Amino acid sequence: MTARGLILTLGIALSRVALADQKGDENKDLDLIPPAAQAPSAPSADASIAAAPTRKIYLENATTQSWLRGGIVAVPPPPPSEWQERLLLDVRDQWRLGRDVSLTYSGRLNARAQDGLDFPSHENVTNDLREAYASWEPHEGTFVDIGRINLKSGVALGFNPTDFFKTRAVVEPVSVDPVVLREDRLGTLMLRAQRIWAGASLTAAYAPAVASGSPIYTDSNLHSFDPMFDRTNAQDRFLLKGSVDLGAGFTPEWLAYHDNGRTRWGANLAQSISQSVVAYAEWSGGPRLSLIDDALRFGRANGPLPPAAPGVLPDQARQGFRNELAAGASYTTDQPKITFNLELNYNQAGFSGADWNNWFQAGRGTTSRSPIAGQLWYIRNYAADQQEPVSRSTVFLRADWVDAFVPKLELTGFVDTDLQDGSGRAQLTADYYLSDRWTVGGLVLVDFGARHSDFGSLPLAGSVLFKVVRYF
Amino acid sequence: MKLATRLVPLVLWLLLSGAALAQTAQEIVTSTDRVRNPAQPFRSVLTLTEYVAGKERDRDMLAVFSKEDPATRQFRNLVQYVEPARDAGKRVLLDGHSLWFYDPDSKVSVRISAQQRLIGQAAIGDILTVNLATDYTASLVGTESIDDAARKPRQCWHLDMKAANDLATYSHVEYWVEQGSFYPIKGKFYSDSGRLLKILYFRNFADRLGAIRPTEAVIIDAVDTSLATTATFGESAYQDIPEAWFQRDYLPRLQTR
Repeated sequence: MTARGLILTLGIALSRVALADQKGDENKDLDLIPPAAQAPSAPSADASIAAAPTRKIYLENATTQSWLRGGIVAVPPPPPSEWQERLLLDVRDQWRLGRDVSLTYSGRLNARAQDGLDFPSHENVTNDLREAYASWEPHEGTFVDIGRINLKSGVALGFNPTDFFKTRAVVEPVSVDPVVLREDRLGTLMLRAQRIWAGASLTAAYAPAVASGSPIYTDSNLHSFDPMFDRTNAQDRFLLKGSVDLGAGFTPEWLAYHDNGRTRWGANLAQSISQSVVAYAEWSGGPRLSLIDDALRFGRANGPLPPAAPGVLPDQARQGFRNELAAGASYTTDQPKITFNLELNYNQAGFSGADWNNWFQAGRGTTSRSPIAGQLWYIRNYAADQQEPVSRSTVFLRADWVDAFVPKLELTGFVDTDLQDGSGRAQLTADYYLSDRWTVGGLVLVDFGARHSDFGSLPLAGSVLFKVVRYF
Repeated sequence: MKLATRLVPLVLWLLLSGAALAQTAQEIVTSTDRVRNPAQPFRSVLTLTEYVAGKERDRDMLAVFSKEDPATRQFRNLVQYVEPARDAGKRVLLDGHSLWFYDPDSKVSVRISAQQRLIGQAAIGDILTVNLATDYTASLVGTESIDDAARKPRQCWHLDMKAANDLATYSHVEYWVEQGSFYPIKGKFYSDSGRLLKILYFRNFADRLGAIRPTEAVIIDAVDTSLATTATFGESAYQDIPEAWFQRDYLPRLQTR
């Protein structure tokens, strides 16, 4: 063997020694396995999978304290409650009846007390029947559903122009976070058919009119045990929507919605831009009145506004093509993992700067019992009932941080800002998961802005809530 | 000369082990991918037990539906939370770039980014089914004997793997595969900057889906070594999973029957 060969062989031998040392280091990693996890679990035999539960049942107690303030435009009675104590039993479950048929139920039983609410009275106990429907799958990928269904659409978080069945459906939410508002709402009685192919889907829904329209509900005139179809099925409604995968996971969705002789069109787009960013846009457009005229028309038809009540704001009463848009992006940071959503929301039917000036001008010096104040606040309550922004342009920023500072603590916050006057609503929520069964949490809500502004003129200055949740 | 004589057996051993390395690194990874998961679609229940400072902190249970995409040779997964009770019914679609999260409370599907996918435990189901040979380019470092999770010595190929596409969760992986059996023994997962993020041990080799496969993984957080998770596959069964399941609109329809 030559000297060169020897050197090479020695080199290889030395690298083997180095590998042996590395092996020793590798085995040190075993010390990182917790003693409690040293023993492997007994392997499960291959078997038919048990039906995994989709059931969710929880009992929640929530106590809210609010702070009120006076504003430029007096608020009609009754004033918002300053405190509320609420116990709710929330149930969601699904049962299979054979291979192709299932039943779904989702509802919430509330027991509540608050200032301004008689005790005991039927108002203390209310039941929200969110969903109760039967599903049938006659062929693989074809579904027929009938009953009260929460049919939701939209990829945005702060405002959903294509969520056509959201109107009048939100009942007594625990939080005003738009994500939570989607949870606390009534479904619509409908017949729905859906076909899902590989890379495409088509959904058609018909919601019949089965009840007459009704005035906007407040938290002091809710029915105890009533499905309140007057909120969800006061008119015939049709929805057709479909999506196609165009490749790389890009699946735009197109919608057509019809009610009251009007058809609105819509689209949903969402696409990954990078490892951390998803961009999305949600649009709907079609003929409609302005928010002011829509509200007055509804109030005159369903009460409490007299049928011939003159409008206190300049009457436009002209139906035109109006757009609603929510466009934004989500971004998740690397460490710590916080997800931010930033959205621009646009409601062409909403208040312009001139509309706001007219609103404050008309309400200046009115008393809380004045019909003028009543009508002005009715318009804003109508917007809330319809789940649409009052102002034309808002910016919505939301953040969600799981395991914030300490494990099991989730922080969620949002700020919704009116771009016309800079006023806004901010909320911070903290949930601490004590165990798999118990969660404690709280939230702080603040409406900020000048007295002459969208959020600054609201009678609620802020509130705090504390809650305890037990899951079953 | 004496030294050279002594080194002959060593040289011979090196040559013999070199012959064993005739199988390419990529073929080794492909073979061990098949040991970990079969090519046919299947479903499993994945139990995740999280330990903090040696104590059990949390236990999640996920129903996972897995199917290989014939075009990309990569697994697509549908994951449904079974436990804890507060998350029951939440679903995640993990299909390459198409990542969606469905919450049965809000009844809305939200598109999520690859980064956001790593929040929560559903990503573990995805990581455990990933075909490493598809997403990584492997090279052989050498052969060595390391202890497995039960501290039993295993003669392994030591592989170095670099991300081959942007779907790879980690930029660099070290991987130990037992020679002969192609059992995966250990993996070390690194960030773009070369920081060690996770150490993974496969263990509990048993009959699963018609072959001897690892039924459990121990995942150690290398950044915070007080954190560890065990992931145990149970109730595995082959199941025909239609292509139509792997899209956003199917998420609300997913039945774990």
